[in-house]
Amino acid sequence: MAGINMAVNLGGLHMKNPVTVASGTFAAGREYNDFFDIAQLGAITTKGVSLHGWEGNESPRMAETASGMLNSIGLQNPGVAALREKDLAWLEGKDVPVIVNVSGHSFQEYVDVIEALEEDVRVSAYEVNISCPNVDEGGMTIGTHVPSVETVVGMCRAATKRPLIVKLSPNVTDICEIARAAESAGADALSLINTLLGMAIDARTRKPQLARVVGGLSGPAVKPVALRMVWQVHQAVSVPLLGMGGISNGTDAIEFMLAGATAVAVGTANFVNPRAALDVVQGIEAYCEEQGVADVNELIGALQC
Amino acid sequence: MERTGLIEEAAQIVSNEQAAERLYFIELRSPQIAHAIKPGQFVHMQIPGMPDKILRRPFSVYMADRANGVLTILYQVVGTGTEHLSSLEAGQTCSLIGPVGNTWAPPAGARCLLVAGGVGAAPLFMLAEELAQAAQGLHVVLGAQTKGAHVTLASYEALPNTTLAVATDDGSFGHAGFCTQPAQDAIASGNFDYVAVCGPEPLIKIVAGMAQEAGLPCEVSLERRMACGVGACLSCVVDTTAGKKRCCVDGPIFQAAEVVW
Repeated sequence: MAGINMAVNLGGLHMKNPVTVASGTFAAGREYNDFFDIAQLGAITTKGVSLHGWEGNESPRMAETASGMLNSIGLQNPGVAALREKDLAWLEGKDVPVIVNVSGHSFQEYVDVIEALEEDVRVSAYEVNISCPNVDEGGMTIGTHVPSVETVVGMCRAATKRPLIVKLSPNVTDICEIARAAESAGADALSLINTLLGMAIDARTRKPQLARVVGGLSGPAVKPVALRMVWQVHQAVSVPLLGMGGISNGTDAIEFMLAGATAVAVGTANFVNPRAALDVVQGIEAYCEEQGVADVNELIGALQC
Repeated sequence: MERTGLIEEAAQIVSNEQAAERLYFIELRSPQIAHAIKPGQFVHMQIPGMPDKILRRPFSVYMADRANGVLTILYQVVGTGTEHLSSLEAGQTCSLIGPVGNTWAPPAGARCLLVAGGVGAAPLFMLAEELAQAAQGLHVVLGAQTKGAHVTLASYEALPNTTLAVATDDGSFGHAGFCTQPAQDAIASGNFDYVAVCGPEPLIKIVAGMAQEAGLPCEVSLERRMACGVGACLSCVVDTTAGKKRCCVDGPIFQAAEVVW
């Protein structure tokens, strides 16, 4: 594929191609390295990490739904020290930037996690998770109100000069309002969408399929919603976007870029096809070759309405 | 524990035959996984032709014919995925990820008791094959709802150095009732040093309790709803004394004593 420029700049994060993975679907990459060299991706986005770790939710935590799935993992993680000792140690020396997804139960916990990572040269960027629908404190409860978005993003901004990506929830009336709040508080880029709040019921037992009753919907089922939101937010803000929501192949990724995404993340598709993220990189290249696109950046927001 | 590498392989269906009501054997040509798989490990299968059901489904492996590169899976039709699987024909292809998970670990030289309920007989069979080669003796308790549902019985009967106790819920064959009674009898005999159990979780829990009471080490094979099947998504966690563990790659086999039921 000589000649095609695949590199993009996501708010100061240099990626050799526009493809990363959605936080929580790829651990820190090790589990997928049996299937392909994960350093071929534009970036690795790690599972959400809190300061001291969380147990996560009760089981069942997952339910399959039409063209997708619901999860209510609840940000189970072993804490930032374990991330550094195990995951970042494993990623060290691999030629791929690392985006650490940062979670917290309070405004201050987000800052504490960032501060615990600031000296760690193995981290390239942060993705601030203010959109997880599966926790009672933090997550989506912060990301659905303008004042709390401004506060937490402003506090994280003050804690780091590294690229700060803020991950948005689709579970809002006006995502552009939230996007503008994050941008004005200092976000370098926005990622969207996190999962859509949903539920599934077993009619036979009359019980919810998830122990927590509600969970986050992902997979191809959410792609039209995600595309619409990326397109709207692209018009509302000037920072670059990391688009995600049901991306399974190169064509899906191209659609997100045309809608305004600078980079894309592959999530649920990793569970279906463990090489999905690499297939998306190759699919984008193949599209550029076919269409005579010399630079992948030409595609960003190139939708012709 | 050092992880063995996972393989994704396009497996061609060799045969897919009904063995009893809702029970099927499917044979899949999957040479790399068949070569690598150990007793108790499973495969994560993408069933073709279900465009709106995107997730893979985990299936334990009953037999692995390494020479011919063929895996045999025993499955029960319980939902739309297995219903559709039962309609597939020889020549069609399924993507498999495997071999996933850990393996049974009976202490060296142990006199072993295996207890299987229903399709739980499948993930114990390769262990039984290995143990039957050793001279210290092996006893297998097999339970099923009916005589007709004992579809693995002939394979177990063919093993050397092995004694069998068979139960049926409806009393149509062997001991009448659940296999918990013959399992209890075997544990009470004092002739065994190790118990392995697989089947419906209530059965597993009861037998694990019996083993614990008798002071015997016991391993159990568990199942949970799974998404990735490679250890990334944390959908399938099992509560243990050491916190939540992933059923897919930390299990599916757990020490009974570590499971928080």
